[in-house]
Amino acid sequence: MSDETLLRVREVTTAFDTPQGRLTAVDGVSFDLAAHESLGVVGESGSGKTVLSRTIMGLQPRRGVAVTGSVRLNGAEVVGASEGAKRELWGRQVAMVFQDPMTSLNPVVKVGKQIDEVLRVRLGMNRAAARARAIELLEMVGIPAADSRYGAYPHSLSGGMRQRVVIAIALAGSPQLLLADEPTTGLDVTIQAQILNLLDEVQGRLGMSMILVTHDLGVVATRTSRLVVMYAGRVVETGTTRDVFARHRMPYTRALLESSPKVSNPSHTRLAAIPGRPPNLLDLPTGCAFAPRCAYATDRCRTERPVLEPADEPGHLFACFNPLPVRVGSPS
Amino acid sequence: MNESLLSVRDLSVTFGPRGRRVSAVDGVSFDVGAGETLGLVGESGCGKTTTGRALMRIVEPTAGTVTLEGVDLTAASGRALREQRTAMQMIFQDPISSLNPRRRARDIVAEPLDCWKRATGEERRRIVEELLAQVGIDPVAYGDRYARQFSGGQCQRISIARALAMRPKLLICDEVVSALDVSVQAQILNLLEDLKAEYGLTLLFIAHDLAVVKNISDRVAVMYLGRLCEIGPADTLYDAPAHPYTKFLLGAALEADPEAPRRSEVLEGEPPSPLNPPSGCRFRTRCPFATERCATETPELREVAPGHQVACHFPLTLARPEGAPA
Repeated sequence: MSDETLLRVREVTTAFDTPQGRLTAVDGVSFDLAAHESLGVVGESGSGKTVLSRTIMGLQPRRGVAVTGSVRLNGAEVVGASEGAKRELWGRQVAMVFQDPMTSLNPVVKVGKQIDEVLRVRLGMNRAAARARAIELLEMVGIPAADSRYGAYPHSLSGGMRQRVVIAIALAGSPQLLLADEPTTGLDVTIQAQILNLLDEVQGRLGMSMILVTHDLGVVATRTSRLVVMYAGRVVETGTTRDVFARHRMPYTRALLESSPKVSNPSHTRLAAIPGRPPNLLDLPTGCAFAPRCAYATDRCRTERPVLEPADEPGHLFACFNPLPVRVGSPS
Repeated sequence: MNESLLSVRDLSVTFGPRGRRVSAVDGVSFDVGAGETLGLVGESGCGKTTTGRALMRIVEPTAGTVTLEGVDLTAASGRALREQRTAMQMIFQDPISSLNPRRRARDIVAEPLDCWKRATGEERRRIVEELLAQVGIDPVAYGDRYARQFSGGQCQRISIARALAMRPKLLICDEVVSALDVSVQAQILNLLEDLKAEYGLTLLFIAHDLAVVKNISDRVAVMYLGRLCEIGPADTLYDAPAHPYTKFLLGAALEADPEAPRRSEVLEGEPPSPLNPPSGCRFRTRCPFATERCATETPELREVAPGHQVACHFPLTLARPEGAPA
């Protein structure tokens, strides 16, 4: 991990009031992110990864949600900040790329204008300067004929091109932190590779930090230096990407890795499926949330909730009473 | 390959009025042997779903023949077609919207039996309970629940039970796991493998996920812009792709392994519009090896190794002819 901490997340809990009761989507999550670092947040649906990224961004509905804990971005507290204070952060300090490029763009505004808006409102550029910069940004994200695409409407662009526009908007304010929430889900594999390479490249070039939120272990394997694995709103394991892949201790991490099919497997490889399904957040088990699906669960796991404990490697933590032994000499 | 159960010859499907005609599937031919799983991969818009639907005649093929156990489905109509069609069943991508939310699990599974009056009373109940149990839904505890009360993975299990009710020979699976979480996806893939063995099923497995397709298939067919690029045994095709498109597609697949080498060669651009597909080889506009010949002459599928066919003038596995680009 490098010198300065850009983002400090401490004991963040986000709970929603629903007609069925209180739903804790994110439960006591803590981590640090250094400048220039890229962190992957991995989990299945309902693990709280998207709510976590929105909480970091300070994007919550006004009512029916309770956020506790602290999110400090460059020392500025996001939790409980006023709309005005958050607006100061958005764009220039932190920006977000959402999953669905179809719905994150305004369908009736030309794409160039949507980039302009950030430049003019956030950076106070005049019309001509904003236009020139918007075209530059479109070029930077690899849109061919950026000059003429400036006036294009989102519907005339493909999914991959639209996601490039969304990235251009996110980059317009030169943020220090880019939050990418499932940025390639729904895109074809070849386009996915293009978009991930683009994110990699701009992150390096602009010296940003990045949080890549995804359900796909393939997306984070070679593109992040550290990982946070989430299950039912809690962090169950964290460490360097290599440690999490090769020396994971939490049975859920292994189950997740082994249940994903791999291109390198011979055909008809039996997958190690996890029995059952992710828990209902309104009705969580008392102990470890993974216990009902875990092959190693004991009575203690069902009554007491494990907290994150350090593993052998620096920065590697896991929450499990019956951790897996470290496999000797096995890379994955 | 065993004796072929399904034989597809020169299948074409076009949509739209004259002048704005989209050729979604263009001259696709392949066979599926009894008891085998053929994987059909490609990116969105390549025509893989349309191919699956045309086999069932959910969309009408514009040309070509589809033969199931020696019977030409494209020539059949009315009751004869419907009867033939019971031998092939389809499972769809979105498990939740493919079930009626207001019907009970047991009635959903019984529907095909009722339509064809295959079983009534006690026998009907027994068959339905057996099917539900087989796909991992407890018929006593969950049989009376409504479809809306099940999760995505459970709905997909019910869809599979419904498809099996007619004891089909061929199961067409169209992106059946792409809407599911990884842990649930593995359950469904394993279930399909088990049921295939138990019922002696033949599978046409349509998906965009290369890892999923390799895991389940004996042979794999790759489509690009409505045409078949390559078809061959799964392991051979993935280890030594012969079509440049297959190579790029595999190169773009992400492996969940931090030590995996980062492949640098990324396919540039996006597929051209099927409204106005390129002449000759449809991949030539993005192919780094394309020559004059690729623009003028459409490459036909030809064998490069036993059972491994490729539609390319310059397949990667063969020595390149004099003067061809490297």
